[in-house]
Amino acid sequence: MKLKQLILTSLVLVSATAWADPTYRLFVTNEKDNTVSVIDSRTGLLETTLELGNRPRGIDLSPDHKTLYVALSGDNAIGRVDVATLEILESLSAGDDPETFDVHPNGNLYLSNEDSAKATVMNPSTGEIIEEIRVGLEPEGVAVSPDGSRVLVTSESTNMVHVIDTALHKVVTNILVAARPRGLAFSHDGLRAYVSSEIGNEIAIIDTKTYTISDKVVVDIPRSKPMAIQISPDDKTLYLTTGRAAKVVIMDAQTLAIKSTADVGKRVWGAVLSRDGSMLYTANGVSNTVSMVDTAASKSIMEIEVGHGPWGLALDD
Amino acid sequence: MQVIKSWLFVLLIGLSSSLMAEVIEVRLHYVGPTEGSVWQGLQQGLDEANIQGDFLGQKYTLQPVTPAQLMALNNVTAILLATDEQQILDLAQSEKFAHIAIFNLSSDADNLRAACLDNLLSIPASHKMKQDALTQWLAQHPQSTAHVQGWHEDFKKFAAGQLNSRFKKAYGVVMDDDAWSAWAAVKLLSDTVARTQSIDGAVTLNYLKNDITFDGQKGASATFRSTGQLRQLVLLVQDNKIVAEAPLRGVKGGLDSLGLESCK
Repeated sequence: MKLKQLILTSLVLVSATAWADPTYRLFVTNEKDNTVSVIDSRTGLLETTLELGNRPRGIDLSPDHKTLYVALSGDNAIGRVDVATLEILESLSAGDDPETFDVHPNGNLYLSNEDSAKATVMNPSTGEIIEEIRVGLEPEGVAVSPDGSRVLVTSESTNMVHVIDTALHKVVTNILVAARPRGLAFSHDGLRAYVSSEIGNEIAIIDTKTYTISDKVVVDIPRSKPMAIQISPDDKTLYLTTGRAAKVVIMDAQTLAIKSTADVGKRVWGAVLSRDGSMLYTANGVSNTVSMVDTAASKSIMEIEVGHGPWGLALDD
Repeated sequence: MQVIKSWLFVLLIGLSSSLMAEVIEVRLHYVGPTEGSVWQGLQQGLDEANIQGDFLGQKYTLQPVTPAQLMALNNVTAILLATDEQQILDLAQSEKFAHIAIFNLSSDADNLRAACLDNLLSIPASHKMKQDALTQWLAQHPQSTAHVQGWHEDFKKFAAGQLNSRFKKAYGVVMDDDAWSAWAAVKLLSDTVARTQSIDGAVTLNYLKNDITFDGQKGASATFRSTGQLRQLVLLVQDNKIVAEAPLRGVKGGLDSLGLESCK
C-alpha cells in the first residue's frame, strides 16, 4: 500500500516537471581563467562568457534543465546560472574543494571533495548539506544510476569505485580497479556502468546486478590516458576521451572493441553527447578549444575557441 | 511471499559479506631510522594503505627491526630498507630472503641496480638516472646550474600537488625524495596485496616485478626494470624551482633513457 502511494506520488512529480524549451546552449568550464563559455551548440558560435568564481571544473544541469550548476573548486562552492536568462544566481557553500558532481533524478547533487576524501550530498535549491560520506583518497568521478538508487564515486589515489546506496547514504560495495580511476558513466538502461583508469590505461564494465567487473580492456591508443565516458542513447556505443592522446575513442559498449577514433584538441578531458547522440562535444584542456565531433562520421567538424583550460561541458538540448 | 523472499535475499547477502569481511593483516618489516623523512614517508604510505584497506579488508602495520631480528623471522611479506648499500646487498643476497621483495628506500647507488638481483627493488632514482637527466638538460641549456631531484615540494602535475599537500598537512614539513620513496614503497605493497589478496612473500614479489601498474603520482605508470629500478621521471631544479622534467621531450627511449636500462 505504502509502495503504491510512493509510486503514485513519484509519477505525479515526474509528470509535473515542466520542461523548458531547449536553448541549445553548450556551457564549458574553463579551469584556468575562472570563466564559463556559453556556445550555441548548433552553430558553434560563442554567445557570451560568464564569471561565476574560481577554478570552475564539474558542470551539469538540473533535471528540468532550468538551472546550470558549476563546481567552483577554488571557492569551495557550487555556482548556479539560470539557463534561459543566463542570470548568475547566488553560489552555495559545498565543502572542501568540490571537483565534480552528478545530479540525482530528485535534483540533489552528489559531489566529490577531492582534498578531503569524501562525497557530499547537497540540495542545490536550499544549499543544505544533506550528508557527507567518507570515500577513498582524491575522489573524482561521480555517476548517479538512472533509477537514482546508487551513486558511484572513484577514488583516484586508492584505485576504487565506491558504490553508495542513496537510501542509506552509505558505501555498500567497493570495487578495486586499475590505477587512477577517473570517469564513470551508466548505460541508460542501468544494467552496466563504465569506469576509466588514467594510469592503468583501462576501461572496465561494471555489472550493476552484482557490482563486480564483468570485462575490461587496455586502451590500445598511443599516449592514451582515459578520462571522460559518454554512452550513446541506444547503449550500443561508448565514447572515451584520452587526454594527451588527443583523440576520442569510439568503442562497442558491449565488447569494448574499438570501432574508430576521432582526432580532437590537445589534452582532451570532458565530453558531452547531444540528446540524440549525433554530436559529441569535447573540452580540450591544452588547445583551449571545444571540438564538435560528428558521431556518424567519427570526425571533428569544428574546433571552437573557448577560455583557458577547458575542463567540462553541459548541454541544454 | 515476494517480500519474504527479498528479505531472505538481503539476509543471505548480509551473511556472505560478513563471512567475507575477514581482514588480511599485513605486517611490513623495516630497517632504518624511526624519525625523519623516510619514517614520515612510510607513515604517510601506511595511512593511505589503511584508508584503502578499511574499504577492501586489509590492515597494514609497520614493524621496525634490526638486521639480526630480521634474519630470525619467518613468513615475511616484504622488507623495507633505509640502510647503507652493503647492508642492502647482504640482506638481498641472503638465501633466506631470495624470494622476498627487498625495497631499497633511500640509496641511489648504481651498484644496487647493476647487481641485478631478482628480489631487490630500488625506489629512488639511481645516481646514473640523475646524471643522464642532467646531461639531457645541459645539452639544451649549457649555462644552467640546475641539479636533479626525484621529487619536489612544488611538484603539482599528475596529482603530485595533492600528495604534497596531504604530506605537509600530516607532518608540517615538505615531502622530499626520501619521503616520496618510502611512501611509494608502501603504496606499491598495498596495491599489490589488495589485488593478490595474499601476504605470501613470493606471490608479492612476483606481482611487483611482473604485473603492477603503479600510480606514483608522477605521471606514467611506474613499473620495475629487470634491474629492480622503478621507472620514473625526475625533476631538474634550479634555485629550488622546478625548471624541467626528464626525460626531456623528444629524447629517444622515454623513461628508459635514464639510467641502466636492463641487465642484458
